[in-house]
Amino acid sequence: MFDKIFVPKKIILPNGKVVLEKRSYTPLILLILLIATIFSVHITGFSMEVIVKRIKEFFVILDQMIPPNWEYTPKLWQPLMDTIKMSLLGSALGAIVALPVAILASSNIIKSSIVVSIVKLLLSILRTLPTLVSALIATFIFGLGTMAGTVAIFLFTIAYVAKLLYEQIENANMDAYEAMESIGLTRIQAFRYAIFPQVLPNYLSTSLFCFEGNVRYASILGYVGAGGIGLLLSEGIGWRNYANVGIILLMLAITVFIIENLSEHFRKKLV
Amino acid sequence: MIKFSNVEKKYPNGLLALNDINLTIEKGEYVAVIGLSGAGKSTFIRCINRMHDITDGTLIVNDVEVAGLKGKEVRQFRRNIGMIFQSFNLVTRTTVLKNVLVSFVPDLPFWRKIFGLFTKEQKMQALSALDQVGILDKAYTRVDQLSGGQQQRVALARTLAQNPDIILADEPVASLDPVTAGQVMDDFKKINQEMNITVIMNIHHVDLALAYADRIIGIRKGEVVFDGKSSMVNQSVLDHIYGRAQSIEVRKEGAKMNHV
Amino acid sequence: MNAIEKQLLSEKKNYQYITWIFVIVFVLFIWSLSAIQLNNMGTSGLTIAKNIITGILHPDLDLLFNITEKGVAYLLIETMAIAFLGTIIGAILAIPLAFLSASNVVPKPLAFVTKILLIGIRTIPAIIYGLMFIRVTGPGPFAGVLTMSLISIGMLSKLYADVIEDLDTSVLESMTSIGCTMFEKIRYGIIPQLLAMFLSIVIYRFDMNLRDASVLGLVGAGGIGAPLIFAMRSYRWEEVGSILIGLVLLILIVEFISNKIRNKLVRGY
Ligand SMILES: Nc1ncnc2c1ncn2[C@@H]1O[C@H](COP(=O)(O)OP(=O)(O)OP(=O)(O)O)[C@@H](O)[C@H]1O
Ligand SMILES: [Mg+2]
Repeated sequence: MFDKIFVPKKIILPNGKVVLEKRSYTPLILLILLIATIFSVHITGFSMEVIVKRIKEFFVILDQMIPPNWEYTPKLWQPLMDTIKMSLLGSALGAIVALPVAILASSNIIKSSIVVSIVKLLLSILRTLPTLVSALIATFIFGLGTMAGTVAIFLFTIAYVAKLLYEQIENANMDAYEAMESIGLTRIQAFRYAIFPQVLPNYLSTSLFCFEGNVRYASILGYVGAGGIGLLLSEGIGWRNYANVGIILLMLAITVFIIENLSEHFRKKLV
Repeated sequence: MIKFSNVEKKYPNGLLALNDINLTIEKGEYVAVIGLSGAGKSTFIRCINRMHDITDGTLIVNDVEVAGLKGKEVRQFRRNIGMIFQSFNLVTRTTVLKNVLVSFVPDLPFWRKIFGLFTKEQKMQALSALDQVGILDKAYTRVDQLSGGQQQRVALARTLAQNPDIILADEPVASLDPVTAGQVMDDFKKINQEMNITVIMNIHHVDLALAYADRIIGIRKGEVVFDGKSSMVNQSVLDHIYGRAQSIEVRKEGAKMNHV
Repeated sequence: MNAIEKQLLSEKKNYQYITWIFVIVFVLFIWSLSAIQLNNMGTSGLTIAKNIITGILHPDLDLLFNITEKGVAYLLIETMAIAFLGTIIGAILAIPLAFLSASNVVPKPLAFVTKILLIGIRTIPAIIYGLMFIRVTGPGPFAGVLTMSLISIGMLSKLYADVIEDLDTSVLESMTSIGCTMFEKIRYGIIPQLLAMFLSIVIYRFDMNLRDASVLGLVGAGGIGAPLIFAMRSYRWEEVGSILIGLVLLILIVEFISNKIRNKLVRGY
């Protein structure tokens, strides 16, 4: 289509051969980007002047976070543990549920294409929904507290792990599966012995990776009342008690660091 | 014309890679440099366009004393010498044509250089160079979608676009399969004969060297131990260049390659 | 001890290891079960759940297709604008930081310090930055743009630096042999390599930023998040439904397009 609007230029070589030079997309792309930028500046009210004049406020806040309020630490343990519990439970249950869901979404195992497409669509929608939004909805149903956060993480984990898992299953080697089906195993049995071993290491590794990310998400879920340390964060910022915010962020950073390294260690062992 | 007189190359770590080299290569010759791994073939070739500095003697290329060149003069000097590498050394994420056009970059005025605007003439020359190596139809394809042989041809076209007097090739076919290697060697031969460009090539396959080059230079431990017409090369010469045991291996390897 | 016995023993050790891991994971699992509290969930929870589902199934179509400033379409465009501008600003500012943190470009200590700084930037969650920037600009999409810029800088610098660290430098050798200067080598040997990868990374980041920008509204930093939370707090579930549908559709479309473009950039088709 592009070639029709911007006709390729003809170049004739000295020996008479003709080459069609494709028009470069670059100027068009740059123009679109420029227009989009101007438009965005307009819509968002972006102003360099405000930044220059008031950016110091940002650093004032940052400055007040240091030194952090160490005395606040004892009050942090409980919410911090809640955050970890939420992500652990949500990830574990989510990863377990993801397995049957992924099977339902694999076109090479499930013969009904309607089921497969519906499950895939639902997974995409679930994956797209930001965790904070599903946590917010969950607080309305399950009340304020860790339960809502766990549900949000649970749902996201299903969507994330199941997507990567069904891609794996669909790309798995089917020879053994077909052989087993032909000697009379049920589809589930054939899956268990022929495909599951192929995708297992990746499944575990994906689940661990998802857990890592979930710890980060879980830390802010408290902001919408879904339990964990996020509640204290929003309190600290609301009351402008930045030294408290500082210590929370520090503890959070350390926790995330430890969990990421532990999980990375095990993931490397898996693959 | 390239003239080595008592040329010596000692690496900073004290290793003597070239020792007392004396030879002359006339314009339009097709020379193959053979020898064991580590003999000093790459060093020999790289001294010619001053990718390496010689440590003693004089090296004269096209009436220029190579060691005496400085800064900008070195770059100017290199414009007339093309170089081909075993690993093709292309920018794989852009098109074939853009890779060939790189050889015009030093000639561009500053503003064109910044925006990458080449003249129509330069594009024509680049396309003609691609035509000469037979991959004109790939001009707007990305390099990472080409086969190894095609990529080496892109490198060859890039060098041709430079319009060089001399082409230096450091094992240009070592990472290609035998058939493709033969085709690329044909390209070199064509360029050498039709355009009268001097070709100096390091090569591990003795049979290819003998089949394509007019003159063979054998290097052993940094010294030239043979220099003569390819027709003069026989088993005893090879024994001399490679040392007895290896040379038989080398011949066998070559024979195998020819039968593929 | 012969080889077979050795093999047998090593297998046993492996079993032990796996058993231990299982025990630990199980204990952690039991420990974390206390996160489940159903006491807060009265009968009202079920009613609300029912209402939400009806709301989503019967979205407020007026709102969805309304093109005034209160309509979903406008809010989505505002969210996109926040994500877009944030990505562009971040994409540019991340370039120098990426080079400063690439260990094959600058001295190791400097690269290390920059890397630590970037890790620091990445640890703080987006909504915290949102809250901080609101103190700078006041509530509204502008604060969202600044937040997205900072988040993008943190993420993009790292990904850029990875690309820089495994640059293919062999092409520079051939450019030396052509007689190119340092500037020419960077312009024609390095930038073309970086450009395709950087663009692909930036597009991916835009995709992610769009998701983040959609929740920034929860803290008052513009975009569709704020109307969403208002609608929920006042139990207007049809409105919630139409906002969620709009949001999910937009993200899915953007994800689809961005995957297409990135494949083209990285693999060339
Ligand atoms: N930069 C360098 N510094 C020190 N020694 C070097 C350097 N480059 C090469 N050498 C040494 O110089 C000798 C000749 O190397 P050269 O690369 O010229 O060999 P070659 O004949 O091209 O071998 P090959 O067939 O393996 O490419 C070798 O012993 C090598 O180890
Ligand atoms: Mg060599």
